[in-house]
Amino acid sequence: MTRRGHLPYQLLTFVIFAVSWEVYARVRGGLLIPTFTETVGASVKLLGSAELWQALYASNQALVLGFALAVGVGVPLGIVLGRFRTLERFADVYLNILLVTPMAAIIPLLGMSVGYGLAARVILVAIFAIVMVVVNSRAGVRQVDPSLIEMARSFGANERRIWTRVLLPGALPAIMTGIRLGIGRAVTGMVLVELLMVSTALGGLMLEYRGLLKAPQLYATIVIILAEALLLISVARWGERKLTGRSVR
Amino acid sequence: MIEIRGLSKSFVGQDGGRVQALSDVDLDVAENEFLTVLGPSGCGKTTLLKAVAGLVPVDSGEIVVDGTKVRGPGPDRAMVFQNFALLPWATVLDNVAFGLELRGVGRAERQERARALIAMVGLAGFETKRPAELSGGMQQRVGIARALAVQPRVLLMDEPFGAVDEQTRRLLQEELLSIWEESRLTVVFITHSMEEAVLLGDRVVLMSARPGQIAEIVPVPLERPRARSLERSGKYAEITAYLWDRLRDMHEEHRAAR
Repeated sequence: MTRRGHLPYQLLTFVIFAVSWEVYARVRGGLLIPTFTETVGASVKLLGSAELWQALYASNQALVLGFALAVGVGVPLGIVLGRFRTLERFADVYLNILLVTPMAAIIPLLGMSVGYGLAARVILVAIFAIVMVVVNSRAGVRQVDPSLIEMARSFGANERRIWTRVLLPGALPAIMTGIRLGIGRAVTGMVLVELLMVSTALGGLMLEYRGLLKAPQLYATIVIILAEALLLISVARWGERKLTGRSVR
Repeated sequence: MIEIRGLSKSFVGQDGGRVQALSDVDLDVAENEFLTVLGPSGCGKTTLLKAVAGLVPVDSGEIVVDGTKVRGPGPDRAMVFQNFALLPWATVLDNVAFGLELRGVGRAERQERARALIAMVGLAGFETKRPAELSGGMQQRVGIARALAVQPRVLLMDEPFGAVDEQTRRLLQEELLSIWEESRLTVVFITHSMEEAVLLGDRVVLMSARPGQIAEIVPVPLERPRARSLERSGKYAEITAYLWDRLRDMHEEHRAAR
């Protein structure tokens, strides 16, 4: 997305956004809507506080574990579903349920079954992220040109070689896309679970600032979460490019 | 070199019924022969080729290549595909070396052999390019080099020039002729072009559709090595005209039968 040619336009929209925010907050704002500059100031101050880093650490624990779980289960699952159509008949309905269910609805369920600790947060992050990973991995395997498999067989490839030399390299770009989209969903899951279920870490911090009417700090926390998500997605995109040798749009 | 006896093959069609792709096909291909197979679409010519390649199991009958019954793909046969079937993420060098890699040839040796073949098909300097950076004709050169790299005794070509433009096709035909003159491989070449079938083939196998059967085998008694100038000869015109008559008859029979 941030290709070099886009940068000036993105900077321009950002400036327009920041100025509008600043003007609106100065005219209509007050206690509950901080100005852009106040938010930036609060962000800087927050980044210097131990409180934020502890919260970030706690949140990211759930994020990393949950996302690793989503990738570890989702990629093999998607690949198998893509290759063996019969399995899909069993799995399709559950994938669709995962895709359309408002995830917030299962939070009380999760709390009741595994308690309100790290496990619940990890599981929720994983459930959020896994759909993207599975669906894209499946599509990746399925889009591999069947004539490539036939070609490999004609040169004597066994099933293992077909997997390692044709199916997996062919599916890799889509798998990486799924991982990248999954990161976005995982961050959503991470924040949501802390806001709605166990008020700890970043979500807990946000609830606390809201309660104390510390609007600049509340906005600053959101800004920092956004920044982290963007950073993670950029890293994923960079990895995607490195691994597949192709440009990623 | 290749003996095909009583070969039959049917598929489950899109409407759920069985489609007879090949029905009781008998065919012999001599060593070093260039055999072209011509027929309307749906006559089972690609199925026939894939059966010889060992890619599709047959219902009945047998195929013997060089004294050995075909039970699957083997190192004595290599295939060239209509849509090239190149690995899009791999370089030209890796694509050409792919068949060798699958057959367990070490990296240094397969790269050396691949380089020699890349040069032979006129792609020297393109070793590190990927298929998407090449024209269709160049991609099929890679496909041909990949097949030749494994040093097969039989080259199976499935409408290899069907997806390239006319000028490129003519160039590729001439190059294939000169490669064949030197290597004297046994070639089975599927095509839907009468001109191509006559220009390249020692014999033209004419197939009819539904069920796929051999309608006639037409010898092409034109001298070798062949050149493009052949197209002006009377004999060439006579054979292509004859093939066209037969194809048109088949087409009309087929329409009448429906």
